[in-house]
Amino acid sequence: MEIYQSIAKSLADGDAETVLQLVKTAVDEGAHAKTILDQGLMGGMEIIGGMMEREEILIPEVLGAAEIMENAIETILKPHLVGEDMKPFGKVVFATVKGDIHDIGKNLVIMMLESAGFDVVDMGVDVAPEAIVAEIKNQAPRLLCLSALLTTTMPMVKTTIDAVKESGLREQVKVLIGGAPLDEAFAEEAGADGYALDASTATKEAKRLVEAGA
Amino acid sequence: MPKEFSMTAHGLMGGQYRPLSPEQISIIHDAALTLLEKTGFTYESGLDAVLDMLASAGMTVDRGAGRIYFPRDIVTALVEKSPTRVILYGRSRENDLVLEEDRVYLGTGGAAIKVLDLDSGELRSSTLKDLYEMGRLVDRLQNVHFYLRPCIPKDIPKEIYDENVFYACFKATGKHIMAGVNDEAGFETMLDMGATVAGGRNAFLERPFASIITSFAISPLKLCTQSTNIMMAAVRQSIPVALSCAPMAGSTSPITLAGTLVQTHAEQLAGIALSQIANPGAPVLYGGIPGMANLMNLGYLGGAVECGMMNAAVHQLSRHIAVPNYNSSGLSESKIPDAQAGWEKGMSTLLVAMGGSNYVHHAAGMLDSMLAVSYEQLVIDDEIIGMSNRVLHGIDVSAAHLAVDIINDVGPGGTFIKSPHTRQHMRTEFYRTNGVTDRKKYQRWVGAGAPDAWARARTIARSILEQDEAPYLSETVDAALRKAYDIRL
Repeated sequence: MEIYQSIAKSLADGDAETVLQLVKTAVDEGAHAKTILDQGLMGGMEIIGGMMEREEILIPEVLGAAEIMENAIETILKPHLVGEDMKPFGKVVFATVKGDIHDIGKNLVIMMLESAGFDVVDMGVDVAPEAIVAEIKNQAPRLLCLSALLTTTMPMVKTTIDAVKESGLREQVKVLIGGAPLDEAFAEEAGADGYALDASTATKEAKRLVEAGA
Repeated sequence: MPKEFSMTAHGLMGGQYRPLSPEQISIIHDAALTLLEKTGFTYESGLDAVLDMLASAGMTVDRGAGRIYFPRDIVTALVEKSPTRVILYGRSRENDLVLEEDRVYLGTGGAAIKVLDLDSGELRSSTLKDLYEMGRLVDRLQNVHFYLRPCIPKDIPKEIYDENVFYACFKATGKHIMAGVNDEAGFETMLDMGATVAGGRNAFLERPFASIITSFAISPLKLCTQSTNIMMAAVRQSIPVALSCAPMAGSTSPITLAGTLVQTHAEQLAGIALSQIANPGAPVLYGGIPGMANLMNLGYLGGAVECGMMNAAVHQLSRHIAVPNYNSSGLSESKIPDAQAGWEKGMSTLLVAMGGSNYVHHAAGMLDSMLAVSYEQLVIDDEIIGMSNRVLHGIDVSAAHLAVDIINDVGPGGTFIKSPHTRQHMRTEFYRTNGVTDRKKYQRWVGAGAPDAWARARTIARSILEQDEAPYLSETVDAALRKAYDIRL
């Protein structure tokens, strides 16, 4: 129990060396790789989520921690994990809507979702509603995330959700939206299931929606 | 240039803003010398010893007409004896202020009689407790470099005022203390208390962590008896003294900026000359504070943008005669920490800092044309001073900051968010707010109760004041001071 907390804390501190060392020790001592991942590494990212909300950490440090986590998985944990262990929260399809080419926010949220245990399919920017509908058919995700930065592309969020409705797939997938000009009220108006204010709330909200939909 | 901007930086070099050209400086300096020669000073009664001293130094004293005339060569020679560098010591070395050239320090100051109550937000009389609590706040605000008593304890009888002021300041902070004193006895009180705190008179005189201000001149061009005598006492002990004169354009000096600067400079030249007759080499600060009269009511006008310009210019004049200066920024006519207070303070503090002024008082806490002081405003002004310091630090173009390799590594179309270079510099390259500047997303700001700057500053001030008192006086020293003086704190 204690070592998982130490891993989490070291990750939150951005201390790469200690994280790798502790993860290796835990594996050597026979701890479950999945527990190390869930309670240690993902636990650390959860601490970081809280720090983001309290504005105690800057985004480059968050990304640095995510990199440490990825490194620990790749170099130590991977042989001991099966695919499902790594992504317990399932699949997410993510896109910046058509007409909008902004991806900084989208990429940050994807990174946060991945390090929280989601399997994210990144469709990139300027993605047409038809393409998103097709991807939902192919991938059968539990969650669709849509991002828009421009006030002029906000309506495209609703258009995309409408397209998903028309295709008959809306009941199979939860929809979470975010981006600078959006808010709760718009999410409701556009027919989304949830709205995320920023990257730290996106992870929480994504977990809530997926768990509610299960 | 220092390698990285440090959040505790002080004494950075200004001089980026020079409102006067070298030629204009010469014109003003020459006009001031002419003024001293032709117009001279008058004086209050009771200054006979000082007049004798001036006369024996070569000044022309006309006792019948009540005038002192200062020959320019004699003034110039005396001013040259004044130190080009004055160190104002802190209780510990990291708080030492090295006043020289264009090195900039900013802090509190003034003699406010009202305070905006931290709990009620109402205006009330300032007390000894306020002086102590504000000292504690300043001690922990990292951009306020010294504690010049910002308010008068209205709850203390005048007879025991000096000892209580110095007691409250010495206990509250390890930063350099400056205050005015009522009379020469008050100066002796400061010396005695300083000696008790320092562990002996010599120890205090070696590193005097307190200094005084004396408003020796009543503008225009008149020596004040009491303040001049206090100046003489300080100068004889080589305790640093700020030779304050604060003419107001339109009432106690000409309405024009240049006219006010000429008169201010003349008053300073006379004061510095006098100090150097009394004790050649004694540390003094050129204390010209050019101000403006509010011609609607003849009150003081501190928030005018021209005050920032004139105070930057007056530093150039002090630099011209190589005497470190004491001046003013951060005044406002606003009654509360609002937008007007923000723009008036932001402009004058930045201008005066960029002017290279050495010891800038009034820069934190003041409101209502110097009549009021506010805890919250101290927090806001700490931010303004911090940002001004960042400006003085300038733009570092060393290889590590030019980052050509980093741009090459990231490559066209890449991102700098993940670059280690970003993590390495992000907490030092930019000024970091003390917390009073709001940079939240709208929803989070609403979630926090939609606090305006005043409310945010209140939260910070309270959280600092709730910390341990950690007094700067040991129990033994405290007991000794309380035994010797009537301390009311």
